[in-house]
Amino acid sequence: MGPLIDAIPLPYTDAVVVLGAAVLGLTCGVLGAFAVLRGRSLVGDAVAHAALPGVCVAFLLGGTKDVPLLLVGAGVAGVLGAVVMLAIERNTRIPADSAIGLVLSAFFSLGVVLLTYIAGSGDADQAGLESYLFGQAAGLLESDVAVMAAISAVSLAAVALTVRAMRVVLFDPRFGGSIGLPVRALEITSTVMLVIAVVIGVRMVGAILMVAMLIAPTVTARQLTDRLVPLLALAGVVGAAVGVAGAVGSTAAGLPTGPVIVLLALGIVLAAVLLAPRRGVLWRAGALLHRRRLAACDAALLAWHRDGELPERSVRALARRGWAEPGPAGPRPTAAGRAAIQEVLERRALWSAWLEHGTRLDLDDPREPGPHDLAAVLGPHRVSELRELAATNGAPR
Amino acid sequence: MTDTAVIVLTAALTGTACALLGPFLVLRRVALLGDAVSHAVLPGIVLVWLVAQTRAPLAVVAGAALFAVVCVLAIDALRATGLVPPDAAIGLVFPALFSLGVLGVTRYADGIHLDLDSTIYGEIAFVPFATVTVAGVPLARATVVLAVVVAVNLALVGLLWKELKATTFDPEFSRTVGLRPVLLSRLLLLAVAVTAVSAFEAVGAILVVTLLIVPAATAYLLTDRLAVMVAVAVAVSWVGAVAGNALATATDSAISGAMGLACTACFVLALLAAPRHGLVVRWIRRGRRRRPAAAA
Repeated sequence: MGPLIDAIPLPYTDAVVVLGAAVLGLTCGVLGAFAVLRGRSLVGDAVAHAALPGVCVAFLLGGTKDVPLLLVGAGVAGVLGAVVMLAIERNTRIPADSAIGLVLSAFFSLGVVLLTYIAGSGDADQAGLESYLFGQAAGLLESDVAVMAAISAVSLAAVALTVRAMRVVLFDPRFGGSIGLPVRALEITSTVMLVIAVVIGVRMVGAILMVAMLIAPTVTARQLTDRLVPLLALAGVVGAAVGVAGAVGSTAAGLPTGPVIVLLALGIVLAAVLLAPRRGVLWRAGALLHRRRLAACDAALLAWHRDGELPERSVRALARRGWAEPGPAGPRPTAAGRAAIQEVLERRALWSAWLEHGTRLDLDDPREPGPHDLAAVLGPHRVSELRELAATNGAPR
Repeated sequence: MTDTAVIVLTAALTGTACALLGPFLVLRRVALLGDAVSHAVLPGIVLVWLVAQTRAPLAVVAGAALFAVVCVLAIDALRATGLVPPDAAIGLVFPALFSLGVLGVTRYADGIHLDLDSTIYGEIAFVPFATVTVAGVPLARATVVLAVVVAVNLALVGLLWKELKATTFDPEFSRTVGLRPVLLSRLLLLAVAVTAVSAFEAVGAILVVTLLIVPAATAYLLTDRLAVMVAVAVAVSWVGAVAGNALATATDSAISGAMGLACTACFVLALLAAPRHGLVVRWIRRGRRRRPAAAA
């Protein structure tokens, strides 16, 4: 870690925080994808809460607030909670998010009861046990970052090695089982890796930041790609970038690191959800507007052709496209306008032919074309075939 | 009424208010909304402190309710884009609001003890001590508030029963027959926000989160009918309140935690012994299916 930290042009403590945020963001981004894509986004929340009884039991057994001991307790309880969650989800009709909620409620209730029991035992060392798990990024040590980096390296290597099997288990577990993949083992492995990352991460940066960091990178990446491997890579990059930007920004502004990272992550998600090409809310709204305008132009051109009169409200739209020009008796079509009318008529004729005779075409693409992309989808050969069918009114050639 | 009776009654009323809404949350895949709201109210408390420099319960509850509503509406808006799954929407919105609250505390209320535990989260053991006088009779304030919340939720669920049922199970169908799934979803979420905030103030966060999920999930294992599911969920929450209180008294531990554990015990019982969806029945059925194959 030493040389890497020296390479960052920041004071030592800030450099440690930045590096820690980068490692954490990368790991959470990649591992979180497996939770989010299976509808278990909030598993981090459940694990963070489930750690409480583990900490209590570890304290009761060990009798001291010894860091590694409490961490082991938290880890064991977290893994147990995750396994219970998977078992409920697998063996009952309870949906994934309710299974997560059940684990969260049950374990945290148990933790609360154990806390009062410990408090009643009069052990002076117990104070602050419940807040023990919830850390602060600013208090990060170089050794914490080293541990996180080791876990990160192991889990990322595991993901890289099993990504093909993971893809099947993620999207079609039944098919995975039928071709002999160890579905249950893979699910448990990926969940346990996630749990370990969460338990370590919660200690470093707090439960709430962990919840957001597991979800935001994947949701962002999901808007930009439909493929798993690019999604994993992108989620890792987004997680690391948000972590670094948040850590640098918060130290510069003198604000707590965790909340700044969370708000930055939400900002990135909102940007992706609004602006993502083809999927984004604004992008879709723009595409819809464009299609509406095209349809309105088509309708105006047809009306013009049919009635010889251009509807008043469409004059400006057609003039802007260079299809209409002012004449002595109202607007008249330009050469391009006449071509446009011809094109609309042809397109409509082709669409009618498709509706009437389309079933006779031998298509290798199972998709249904729409009125606007019909010619492009069918291709020149099939278009002429369709025209011929229409011309002979469906008689065989 | 004895203090114990007041505590059990308050817990049972909280359970009823939550169990009336919980089944819809479980069926709509937004079970963790209660947990989300429990964190998302922090900026409301900071805002109240900023505006009025007060930590008085009524003002704090109003500020918390405001941000609970912001939280559920933001989750609904994000979910409605169709680009973010509902559980991910929950997990994006509440950390952001909580972070906003933390930033507000460090920026404007540093040095003042302003956090969720000391302002909005109540402790059920103290319920009998804050009283109001209604028609000359002194009653625990939390009990009265929760009785009102139960009445409101009962009215909401009762009056919009058909609509809630249709939009929960088949939003597309309900849209075609002229119902308003978006509006109904928002109404339901608003009811959850108000219920959660008023219940936090009485019994603390974890018990509310538990009562929204565990009784509903228990009931989901026991029945396929929505009306029965709601009734069973309410019954489970009452059992949880009574048994939890007994457990807490017997072991001298936190009442809210013990009630949560009692509800969980109900769930485990249903998980094992439910007539159609229970594990025991499944095992027997699986054994029966295997036997002829083994004999052949």
